[in-house]
Amino acid sequence: MTDKYLLSIRKKSFFLIFLFSFLFLSACVSHLKEAKYYYAQGQKFSRSYQTEKAVSSFKRALREAELEAEKHASAQAYMLKGMVELELELWEEAEESFVEAFSYGFEKAEAWAEEVSLLGLALSFQELGLEDSAFKIYAYLVNKSKLKGILQLVSQRYTDMLLERALHKKAKEGEKSLAQALKSAQKLANNDLSYGFYHYLLSQIYSHLSEHKNSFEEAVMAKELGLPTEKIFRDNDLQIIFCYQKLKENMSSEEWEKFHSSCLRWVKKWNWQDPETPGWKKR
Amino acid sequence: MNKSAVEKIVENGVRFLSELFPQKTYLYFPLLSAFIVWAVRRNREWKEKILSWKVWLHPGFVEAKPDEFILDFFKRSQALNKAYQDEIKKAKIKSLRMAFGRLYPILGLEDPFLSALFAQELESGDYRKIVKDFEERVSRAKKDIESMKREKRLLEGLNTLADEVLSLHLDLISQANLRKILADLVKKHIKK
Repeated sequence: MTDKYLLSIRKKSFFLIFLFSFLFLSACVSHLKEAKYYYAQGQKFSRSYQTEKAVSSFKRALREAELEAEKHASAQAYMLKGMVELELELWEEAEESFVEAFSYGFEKAEAWAEEVSLLGLALSFQELGLEDSAFKIYAYLVNKSKLKGILQLVSQRYTDMLLERALHKKAKEGEKSLAQALKSAQKLANNDLSYGFYHYLLSQIYSHLSEHKNSFEEAVMAKELGLPTEKIFRDNDLQIIFCYQKLKENMSSEEWEKFHSSCLRWVKKWNWQDPETPGWKKR
Repeated sequence: MNKSAVEKIVENGVRFLSELFPQKTYLYFPLLSAFIVWAVRRNREWKEKILSWKVWLHPGFVEAKPDEFILDFFKRSQALNKAYQDEIKKAKIKSLRMAFGRLYPILGLEDPFLSALFAQELESGDYRKIVKDFEERVSRAKKDIESMKREKRLLEGLNTLADEVLSLHLDLISQANLRKILADLVKKHIKK
C-alpha cells in the first residue's frame, strides 16, 4: 500500500515537474516567438500605411521582447528589442539594447549601437540649427549603416540637405551637390531595389535635375513598391502629376501620344479620376 | 450621406471636448475634422495622427523642391495665382518658397488638421494670413495638443466617435466638402 502510494506520489510529482517545465519552457519560447510575430506584423501594417496598427504591433513586440530579455537575457532578445525600438524611434533605448546584445556575444550590435547614438546626435544638432555638424553625421551614416530603420531617416535628411544646398549654392557647386545626392540615392536603390522610398528620393532628385521622364518613372516605381507614410505617398503623387504636366509641355506630339497612352494605363490601375487628380484629391 | 447622423457625431464630439477642454474651443474643429477625415480614409489611423504630432508635422517627405515645382504650385491654382500674382510675375522665388513651405502641406498634401486649423483663411482665400500666422498658430496648437494627449478620456471619446463615423460611408464625399459640412456643424454646436 505504502509502495503504491509512494509510486503514485512520484508519478504525480514527475507529471507536475513535467507540466511546470513544459509551461515554463513554452512561456520562454512564446515571449521571443510573440515578439518576432508582432515585429513582423508591425512591418506588414507599416507597408500598407496602417500606422496605428503598426505602432500597436511594435509596442506589443517591445513588451514581449522586454519580458524575454528580463527572463532570459540573450543576444537575440536584446537585438530584437533594439530593432523594435528603432521602429518606434526610441533611439536611446535602442542604443542601450544593442550594447546589451553586444555584451551577450552579438558582435555586430556594437556597431549598431554606435550608429543609433550618432543618429541621435545628428538629430539634436539639426534641432539646434547646427546643420553642418548634422550633415557630416548623416553623410557618414548613409554610407555606412545597414539598418533600414536608420537608413530611411538618414537618407531623407541627407538628400533634403543636399538639395537645399544645391538650391542656394552657385551653379557649379549646386551641380556637385545634386550629383552627390543622385549617387547616394542610386547606391541605396541598387542595394535595395524593392524599397519604394529610395525610388521616391531618386524621383525628387531627378526633378531638381529637370529630368522629368526619369523623375516620373522613379515616382511610379515608388508608388508601386509602396511608401512609408501617407504624406510621402501624397507628395509622390503630386510629383507624378508635376512630371506629367511638364512632359505634356515639352514632348513632341508623337512622344506625347506614346507616353500618354501608357500613363493612362497607370491612371486606370490606380483608380485616379484623370492623370492630374489622384483618388485622395477628389474634386 | 446621412447628415443628421454626422450632426449627432459632431454634437457628441463637441460635447465631450468641451467637458475635457473648455478653454480650447479653437481646437475643436481642427481635431474633429482631422479625426473624421483620417477615420474615413485610413480606417482608424486617426489615433496615430492625433498622438504622433512629431510624425504628423515632420512626415519625412523631401521638402526642398526645385523652383519650377514651386512656381507651378502657385500658377496652377487659380486662387494662389491671384493672391501671389506680383511674386509670380516678378519670379520672386525667395518669398514664394517661404510661402510654399506653409501652403504646400495644406493645399498640396491636404493635411486635414492644418486645413481645419486655417479653415477660416482658406474659406476667405486669405493665404497670406496663413503664411503669416502659420508658425505661431501651429506651435500653439502643438503645445495644447501635447497637454491634451495626457488626458486619457480624449482617446476614449474619439474611439466612440470613430465607430460611429465608420458606419456612415463618408468616403463618398470630398475632403473639402466634408470639411465645410463639419465646420458649420462644429460652429453651430460650439455656440450652443
